[in-house]
Amino acid sequence: MIDYRARFRINLAIALCGLAVFAIVPFVANSGLVFLAGLVAINIVFGLCWNFLFSGAGLLSFGHAMFFAAGAYGMAVVSLRMPELPFFLGLAFGSACGALIAMIFGYIALRRASGVYFAVLTLAFSELIHIYITKTTFLGRNDGLVGIPRPTIDLGPWVLDLTSATSYYYFIIVAMTIAAFALWCFQNSPAGRLIQAIRQDPLRTAFLGAGIRGWQLTAFVVSGTIAAFCGAVMVPFTQIASPEIAVWTVSTQPILFTLLGGAGHFWGPAVGAILFGAIAYGTRAMQGLSDITVSVLLLTVVLLIPGGLLGLWQRRRRKAGGRQPGQAGDDARPGTAAGKVEARQ
Amino acid sequence: MTQIMQARAMCKSYGPVRVLENVDFELDEGEAHVVIGPNGAGKTTLFRCLSGETRIDSGTITLSGSDVTALEGWQRVKSGIGRSFQVARIFGGMSAFENLIIAIETRERNKNGLRFSLRHLAPRKAVLEEAERLIGELGLEHTSDDAAENLSHGDKKRLELAMSLALKPKLLMLDEPTAGMSPSDRAEAVRLISQVRDTYGLTLLLTEHDMEVVFGLATRLTVLHQGVIIASGQPEEVRADSRVREVYLGQH
Repeated sequence: MIDYRARFRINLAIALCGLAVFAIVPFVANSGLVFLAGLVAINIVFGLCWNFLFSGAGLLSFGHAMFFAAGAYGMAVVSLRMPELPFFLGLAFGSACGALIAMIFGYIALRRASGVYFAVLTLAFSELIHIYITKTTFLGRNDGLVGIPRPTIDLGPWVLDLTSATSYYYFIIVAMTIAAFALWCFQNSPAGRLIQAIRQDPLRTAFLGAGIRGWQLTAFVVSGTIAAFCGAVMVPFTQIASPEIAVWTVSTQPILFTLLGGAGHFWGPAVGAILFGAIAYGTRAMQGLSDITVSVLLLTVVLLIPGGLLGLWQRRRRKAGGRQPGQAGDDARPGTAAGKVEARQ
Repeated sequence: MTQIMQARAMCKSYGPVRVLENVDFELDEGEAHVVIGPNGAGKTTLFRCLSGETRIDSGTITLSGSDVTALEGWQRVKSGIGRSFQVARIFGGMSAFENLIIAIETRERNKNGLRFSLRHLAPRKAVLEEAERLIGELGLEHTSDDAAENLSHGDKKRLELAMSLALKPKLLMLDEPTAGMSPSDRAEAVRLISQVRDTYGLTLLLTEHDMEVVFGLATRLTVLHQGVIIASGQPEEVRADSRVREVYLGQH
């Protein structure tokens, strides 16, 4: 029997530990590193929501940049063109932009395509969004939208001043912890269980009486909304929304995080994103070294440790403890999904 | 007796190959209807068309009086069909217990609407208890924590049966429920199927190859040959039919 309560507590503890670690960063590191840590926190959730779609729902997306950019531009437009609107409305509008794109695109693509065809369609659609951004004057064309202010939030008796980078950094890590754990909760809810069942056997799930396409679309919209939320939260931090965040290379980022960390684990992309950030920081002085390091590392992980770093860690632990699989803490079983990643790469 | 399912003038082709030609088919409530026929006769296609896995090219299918011809499989399930597959389909990465939880939760969601999925994460207590009861009823206790893909062939079939039962169907469709089983497992499967039929008051529709299984379960027998029904009735009558003997039983 599965201890659902223990599973919940363990994963809540993981999320809170992550929050605690990130909260310490401003005390021990300089502002450059704090800035990087803020981006890593956003990347973690970006990776998690991509992997939710991939390992959870079995849908491969090569176009998550479109959601990220939709959220970022949605937020940027609200804070620059409608500065009188409250900050949270900007976040909501950015996320809603991502949700809307996911809904329209998912509705079209899921009717016809699956597997690799679906992935290629996401890539194509994402490029379309990129071109649209670079050609639209309202969105700043190739220059993007710059000078996005950080907010001061009026909470009645308290006023939350997030105008400094460090205070906004704290807002980011809290928002990302909530988003990450909300995603975990969704994946482990009755709806999330059904979505995982669809990945394993769509036909069986259909003959349990569940409409496959509707649930796949739900997963797609959930993932797109969270990716857009990440983009919307990032924009006041970097204070710029540039078309570069809509380029296909941004879509490859969550895939890299997932491959490094392990697709079979909910928290796999988090490990990957942190490692990725560390590499970027360690090699920041040498132009191009970061790319080489990342590619070598990626090759090593894919060829030698197929389950990613968390997969390796779990195998070690199982060997040492001889424990049964699927008792606690593991949200998805390693191996199956990770194997698919390699096949598709 | 009321008819639970009725099909009129069903035709189905795969490309140029005509698999079902003008097939009329009825299923009375409470009967155990077995469809037999040589390999390639169209049994599985008939099964797929009736369950909604594939659309028919022409004809109509009604289920408890309402036309379901245009409905997809998952929509037909909602009106009380449960089905199994020739090769058991289960969620291999999950334990038998989790498989059943998903089946029960899907049924509850269809019954009570989407709000069933909200407000709680872990399966509700009633769902857990029902899953445990089904595990006990079908003798799957020993599988508790194993991933379902590692279960034995017979256990997988039993798990799939349990998942179908979890939907509380009126009509249970089993596509070759004893395919690939040893003779002793077959006898056991026949016993189990008649037992659940009695307990749940089910109407059964089966396709089957094995004659012992057929005559052990059937209250009505239909013989399909090259996409056409050549005989249908009481098992003993059909067995005595000269055409059936010629095309099918005679070969054995």
